[in-house]
Amino acid sequence: MFIFALCYSFAVSVSDKFYSLIFASILPLIFLLKDKKIFHNLIKINLLNLIMIITLALTWPNFNDGIIKGVLIALRVNMIYIVFVEYAEGIYDALIYLRLPEKLRILIILTLRGIFVLRERFDTALISVKLRAKKLNLKTFAYITGSVLLQSSQRSEKILQAINLRGGFNGFMRSKNEKPNLIFMLYPIAIIILNYA
Amino acid sequence: MHISEGVLSGGVLVAGWAGTLVGISIGLKKTETEKIVKTALISSAFFLASLVHIKIGVSSTHLSLIAPVGLILGQAVFPAVFVALLLQALLFHFGGLLVLGANTFTMAFSALITHIIFSRLIRDSRKKFSLIFISFIAGTFAVIFAAFLTGLFLYFSDKNFINAIKILMFAHIPLALFEGIATAFLILWLKKVSPEFLS
Repeated sequence: MFIFALCYSFAVSVSDKFYSLIFASILPLIFLLKDKKIFHNLIKINLLNLIMIITLALTWPNFNDGIIKGVLIALRVNMIYIVFVEYAEGIYDALIYLRLPEKLRILIILTLRGIFVLRERFDTALISVKLRAKKLNLKTFAYITGSVLLQSSQRSEKILQAINLRGGFNGFMRSKNEKPNLIFMLYPIAIIILNYA
Repeated sequence: MHISEGVLSGGVLVAGWAGTLVGISIGLKKTETEKIVKTALISSAFFLASLVHIKIGVSSTHLSLIAPVGLILGQAVFPAVFVALLLQALLFHFGGLLVLGANTFTMAFSALITHIIFSRLIRDSRKKFSLIFISFIAGTFAVIFAAFLTGLFLYFSDKNFINAIKILMFAHIPLALFEGIATAFLILWLKKVSPEFLS
């Protein structure tokens, strides 16, 4: 389903006509009616969209064309966002299905893990700076980042030793190999055909 | 500097992905499996650092740290930036998955160019002043170059973006200067505390 979401986003991105976008908006509308919590996040996104529409309207050669372009982009952003929110959890199966190189998969998993490991150290450093100074300036920020970078390097050596003790990188992240349902792919194809028909 | 989803045209999206895939495959080939762990941890440290808001005057900003990423990670910068932006898109819905190719290319390519131009100069500089100066120029250059690449992607999507691109470039000048200052402090600190880290 995640791969379907990617194809859907591509179809929406290449659509530049309102009728094809209206056809494409059926799926996000269904999701929106099903889960009303998405509305909250959409408000923030659309505030940014509003700024983008105003900027485009003022900078485009023709004011009306600028507004139309801005609204088209804003519509696409909303639709892609809603569909990705629904299907984001399928990412790990998609990584396996897309046959990404093993090194890249290891990198993704370890970076994600590293964020949570190092977050504690970063937070402690930031709290200690806030206790000593009124605000964080560029110099202290750079020094904190430097120390966390060195700590991350030392930590990585320990993690590598731990991985080697458990048999190295063999068998790192195996997962079920699901095949995508091709019927779903008809929807993005229909959007592209409608746009160029 | 992130391009939002739905802005770029289909051809430019494909071009962005093509450039990124070439960069990732070369980067992965040149990085040994043992070095992946270090790359991942350094990448997550940069990820965290880029989330910190720093107060500058009356406003606050968060830095992208493109130049230090390039200077420290070297050729592994493409996979590292790709993963960081992928996680940013998934965890915060910042940027987007389809424009990930273009966003990765703008960030990683400018980091790589910064590495190629400045890493040797920084390694060889002995005087404090020249080190600060070179690091500042590296930090500023990386941001301006990334903004230029972003502008290029927008221009090839639709030529009418030209005025918006000019605003984008001007808006990045103060940010580039702040990045330059932060890069200078960071490189100076690393060179003092652990010189082998930069090599």
